[in-house]
Amino acid sequence: MVDVREDILARLLEVVGTIPNIRSAYRNNTEIAENQLPAVIVFDGDEETNEAQNRPSNSPIMVQMTPEIIIAEQSDEVGSDLTTLRRELIKLVLFDTELNNLIAKSSPRGNGAIHYLGCQTDLGWMRSLHGALRAQFMFKYTLRPEQL
Amino acid sequence: MTIDFNTDCYDPVYAELGVPATMTVAGVGAVTLTVLDKTRRKTVTSGNVEVNSIGPGVKVRMAELAANGITSSNWDGALLAFNGRNWIVRHGDPLGSPNGEDIGQVWFHVKKEAAVG
Repeated sequence: MVDVREDILARLLEVVGTIPNIRSAYRNNTEIAENQLPAVIVFDGDEETNEAQNRPSNSPIMVQMTPEIIIAEQSDEVGSDLTTLRRELIKLVLFDTELNNLIAKSSPRGNGAIHYLGCQTDLGWMRSLHGALRAQFMFKYTLRPEQL
Repeated sequence: MTIDFNTDCYDPVYAELGVPATMTVAGVGAVTLTVLDKTRRKTVTSGNVEVNSIGPGVKVRMAELAANGITSSNWDGALLAFNGRNWIVRHGDPLGSPNGEDIGQVWFHVKKEAAVG
């Protein structure tokens, strides 16, 4: 059994957990206490295909998965803190050997890819200034139904 | 009968629930006030994530502030110590009263003092 989607998400959590100065890393956790900050949370992404319908139903198809990663922090310098954490996040994800190998192995013809799509920020006051940064990545890989 | 909100309403409440606070204001110095601790649980939602913390704040009688030379022109950035913690006033929201804002209350929104862990 090979489930590229699950392998990517599991590895993604390991990767974001190595961002310098991150205190806690979770997958799909929607409730964080302030003593866990700075925290990073990986949310399982949507999955889309662009395949034509005139192929056998069990043919390999290209899939685009867009997981969302949220970094939350609370500090007087939350803006520059988030910028620093975002920089490390992008570098770690795009250059991670294992993630790139997962993509390359699923799509040996070289049509797989990892892209950074962008980010949005939210701010609010609590004990000090709270900031969250939502970053989206796109993982393009081949889904092979016969391997599931 | 005219109700004086400061005397008839606020003073008894502050006498019962108020706690001592020290407010240090630029150009005024340190003054002792009675405040109502309005620190409450607070949640910020970003995307799917709820982050739980507190929203620290106090209520103070406007008349007590004025008597100590503290006004809206100088309270921003003041140091405020109460209930064992030190804070910095981010801003104050005058809450007014049926007798006018000058004898109403003000809600100070505060943030953690940087030097305090």
